[in-house]
Amino acid sequence: MEKNSMEEFQRSTVPRKNVIEFRPPLYKQRYFFVKDIVNQYKPKKVADLGCGNATLLCMLKFHSCVQELVGVDLLMDRLLDWNSDKLSPSIGDHLGPRDLDLSIVLYRGSAVEKDSRLLGFDLITCIELIEHLDSEDLAKFPEVVFGYFSPGMVVISTPNSDFNPLFPASTFRNSDHKFEWNQTQFQHWASNVAKLYSYTVEFTGVGAPPPWAKHVGYCTQIGIFKKKQPDPGSWILAKPTGSRVSEPEEHAYQVVFTASFPSLQQKHFLLFVLCTEVLKEVEAIRQKYVWIMKRKESSEPESEEDTDSGLVRRPGLFLTDAQVAQIEKSPKPYSVGKRFYVPLKRLIGYPKVNRLVADVSTLRTLLAEGIPMRMNRAHTSVQIDLDPYDYPHDYR
Amino acid sequence: MSGRARVRARGRARSPSPADAPSPTSVDISASEASSTGDFAGTSRISQTHGVSPGDARCPFIQRSGKSRRDFTDLDVCTREKLAHVRDCKTGSSGVPVKLVTNLFNLDLPQDWQLYQYHVTYVPDLESRRLRIALLYNHRELSNKAKAFDGVILFLTQKLEEKVTELSSETHRGGTVKMTITLTRELPASSSVCIQVFNIIFKKILKKLAMYQIGRNFYKPSEPVEIPQHKLSLWPGFAISVSRFENRLLFTADVSYKILRNETVLEFMTDLRQETTMSCFTQTCEKRLLGLIVLTRYNNKTYRIDDIDWSVKPTHTFQKQDGTEITYVDYYKQQYDITLSDLNQPVLVSLLKTKRNDNTEPRVAHLIPELCFLTGLTCQATSDFRLMKAVAEETRLSPLGRQQRLARLADDIQRNKDARFELETWGLHFGCQVSLTGRVLPSEKILMQDHVCQPASAADWSKDMRNCKILSAQSLNKWLILCSNRAEYVTENFLHCLRRAGSSMGFNVDYPKIIKAQEDPAAFFSAVQKHVNPDVQLVMCILPSNQKNYYDTIKNYLNSFCPVPSQCVLTRTLNKQGMMMSVATKIAMQMACKLGGELWAVEIPLKSLMVVGIDACKDEVSKGMVVVGFVASINPGITRWFSRCILQRTATDVADCLKVFMTGALNKWYKHNHGLPARIIVYRNGVGDGQLKTLIEYEVPQLLSSVTEASANTSSKLSVIVVRKKCTLRFCMEMSRSLQNPPLGTVVDSEATRPDWYDFYLISQAACRGTVNPTYYNVIYDDNGLKPDHMQRLTFKLCHLYYNWPGLISIPAPCQYAHKLTFLVAQSIHKEPSLELANSLFYL
Repeated sequence: MEKNSMEEFQRSTVPRKNVIEFRPPLYKQRYFFVKDIVNQYKPKKVADLGCGNATLLCMLKFHSCVQELVGVDLLMDRLLDWNSDKLSPSIGDHLGPRDLDLSIVLYRGSAVEKDSRLLGFDLITCIELIEHLDSEDLAKFPEVVFGYFSPGMVVISTPNSDFNPLFPASTFRNSDHKFEWNQTQFQHWASNVAKLYSYTVEFTGVGAPPPWAKHVGYCTQIGIFKKKQPDPGSWILAKPTGSRVSEPEEHAYQVVFTASFPSLQQKHFLLFVLCTEVLKEVEAIRQKYVWIMKRKESSEPESEEDTDSGLVRRPGLFLTDAQVAQIEKSPKPYSVGKRFYVPLKRLIGYPKVNRLVADVSTLRTLLAEGIPMRMNRAHTSVQIDLDPYDYPHDYR
Repeated sequence: MSGRARVRARGRARSPSPADAPSPTSVDISASEASSTGDFAGTSRISQTHGVSPGDARCPFIQRSGKSRRDFTDLDVCTREKLAHVRDCKTGSSGVPVKLVTNLFNLDLPQDWQLYQYHVTYVPDLESRRLRIALLYNHRELSNKAKAFDGVILFLTQKLEEKVTELSSETHRGGTVKMTITLTRELPASSSVCIQVFNIIFKKILKKLAMYQIGRNFYKPSEPVEIPQHKLSLWPGFAISVSRFENRLLFTADVSYKILRNETVLEFMTDLRQETTMSCFTQTCEKRLLGLIVLTRYNNKTYRIDDIDWSVKPTHTFQKQDGTEITYVDYYKQQYDITLSDLNQPVLVSLLKTKRNDNTEPRVAHLIPELCFLTGLTCQATSDFRLMKAVAEETRLSPLGRQQRLARLADDIQRNKDARFELETWGLHFGCQVSLTGRVLPSEKILMQDHVCQPASAADWSKDMRNCKILSAQSLNKWLILCSNRAEYVTENFLHCLRRAGSSMGFNVDYPKIIKAQEDPAAFFSAVQKHVNPDVQLVMCILPSNQKNYYDTIKNYLNSFCPVPSQCVLTRTLNKQGMMMSVATKIAMQMACKLGGELWAVEIPLKSLMVVGIDACKDEVSKGMVVVGFVASINPGITRWFSRCILQRTATDVADCLKVFMTGALNKWYKHNHGLPARIIVYRNGVGDGQLKTLIEYEVPQLLSSVTEASANTSSKLSVIVVRKKCTLRFCMEMSRSLQNPPLGTVVDSEATRPDWYDFYLISQAACRGTVNPTYYNVIYDDNGLKPDHMQRLTFKLCHLYYNWPGLISIPAPCQYAHKLTFLVAQSIHKEPSLELANSLFYL
């Protein structure tokens, strides 16, 4: 009976086998799945075991929450060469630094070896990794990843063999696969691991089956493991492996690549971004000021626009009413002779400045260091020329 | 005089070049890999993928790539062997020897060093260049050898045992690939292919020193110089190359800075919005932005802005490659975790280059202004005096400062473990800095009407010639001054000074007719139209502002429609207190020249010599047009000039109107001197990399044929010299434990020159701050057979004759005149100036 139905099923799917195609391709869906997890849980430290050519890391480096990215692979040398560029800071990263530091490290090593540098991670992903492990390594794997690394969260993906009949070839999906589990096998293994190392696990996947074969489940099955916390819901705050400090350092992995990104946490980048933003803001305020002055000179009737005295819309900056009110209350910009002044107390009200420094005294200290020539003597205002084009010109 | 005036006057002003994008426009050579070991800890990388054609193994690298290093192709042109008189010796003799330090470093190789070139094939054939390289690099047989491989051609310093070597390798997919490595050539170290391999090796070494390649140069992002008030970041770095000089292999390094802009397109648009009214905002935006190169901050790619689509907003959707629809906002959030802040911004449109030359419709990329950084400096930025000053202050290095940077680089190369290892595996030894001996040519006397002066400093003899009469000047009787009502008082004041300055130099300036106009370009222009007639000798316009349209409309009208010499002065200039007399003196001299006057001369030993300057540059408005300027002396004293300019439609800066120009100049000479010049020396400026061959094959014959056709029996002898202001070589003089710029008139004609060329360096301009940039001269054709010494001295003399600056300039005066002329036409007039003006320096 069972055999018959299986044959029937196969017969019925034969003509449709070729139509199994995923858009976007399955590997991308897996990576986007991890990106979604990162978006949802905002981990600071993420490691990808079996990172291959580091495509996933390249995608994750854009996430502002991530501060440490680690990739581990056995065969790194084969594929690293052309991705090292993508993992290094680019010109854009220097011009528009991130808010938070980011370091990327790639190790050559095995997922079944312990290395103390992988302790204390918030998220470890093993995308299409476990099916490449032989039985001996597979046995060691939980102890290393869950027992020793013991991150806040583990994401493991592996092919679902229940889905395989939908593909034309009946062998494994890749010649290096040591096994391909069906849903029951994977869930059984995963639940045992979770229980042993006090994690919770939930199952999902990517690559939904066609409507006529719902029972086979996702093409790629995924287990999401979360470390059980005394205080549920705050897993990311309670450091999973705080007590590991006392353990001896073990360095089994070999560093093959490191990169450190410019960020606003590094003072000289903060200084540059702040000075640039402040001067952009001051210039915008000046333009508006001059425009209003000219209007008054020509004694044209004031238009509605004039009323927001000196508030200029910067790109991407829509001031809320509260912010406008806040700025309105602060000391006004003024001019003396040919110089134009914007008080720091006013500047701090602009979100683009406020985002970088919280208070006037920090602003003062930083500006005095970054653009000392642009500060008035008392260091209370930024000064520029009222008419920047009023400089000696040569004759032609 | 303001700094800018000085810069211009000395002829150091350059025509603004198109936005200098930090795009990796490099150089295919960088795309090919060099490595010494299987160790990949370095940051070796392939910046661009180039299609691998099965390729003729005999011409590696050069021909297979579209844009090869063009200066390499120049080096293959051997001109010296055809010049019999310099075949044995091209060095001069006069002057005082001076010891100079260069920015060259010795590179030593073992005597029997050879490079082995192999051709590599794969079975089954692999499309992917990456895979080809990866498989070869990771093979045991080759992993410990010094090698450079671009996917097809492999270079090794150690010969493989067999002529044909078969290797097999497994791909990570489990298949087996057979690689066949066949020896095709054995190259001696002097071969040009080896030079290219050395360049690849050094690129790799600089990357190992944590430098970042932009274009051809290498920069250190870790030590930026920030100029926040202009939203600029400067990255220090080096332009490097390995090349064969007179008799040895040398490494050249010159300090370079990359200017990066910290301004997004959206910020640029917002600033524009405040300057312009709503109605012309989109128009202005397009005018200012189209054609610029932008850098996207998320993926570090550069794009050209081809259009702006105002109808598309970030909240609109687009179709991804997989067919799904997504809004721009969501896409950037999802892909790059970027939140767009302005949802009303338009999108920039960029046409993507298709890799294959098929007829598929070009794909376009939509870019969000907020995420695009502007790159390079716009014309507007380069004309901003403050900005350029700020940049110059940061980038201008004294000879000592420059030397310290070089020393540090040399030290880094020698100390860095990876770099040293790389050099060692290739058998290269990075040696010491090269010193050589130059000569300082004797200084020149300046001949005035009734006085010969020996200037205290050849850099500026304005003080020496105070109260001296200029050689000749036409009296200025019928002329106009046009000014705004507000400028009336300063104009009167200025006129007084002008007449006083004129009379002291022997230039009679009568009282002009003064016309007042309203302060707007149209009013000025109509006043010019109304009052100027062909009887007027000169029109002076006191311009209220340096708005381009004042100047351009007036110059356009007076240079072609109604050819009358004109002099524009900014009101601002005349307001400078205490400067009035020096301003007036300078303007009086310019006016005298514009009327055909002669200011001063130098002694020219050759009695019947015509010198010619040629320059070419691209037109500012119509991009397909090239402006070619031609200026020839028409008297033996080399004080009167014949100037012509033409616009031609070509892609390159090669001139094809030279026959007409040369014939015209010879006719002029004949009319004035009743004979033809015995000798003609042409200085050609504005030649780009890789154009040397075209110049020899295309421009020289044009000049030759007009010279031979001019006379039936004895034709004039011709020499053609290519002038280059930009070269990476620097010379410094050691002085009491410090370094200084060499004295004016320093010539270098050995060691740092090329064996196949008749070339020399001449330092003829002063650099009060910073390091002087020597001018490079390459004699590509020479019938005159002058001794090298005479050629060098004549060239030096000609650098004294630029009437817009009482001092030495960096290039021979005819070149600078031609440059000034092409600049005026390319920037303001955009059409051929009237022939009636050709006899005066109307463009000064």
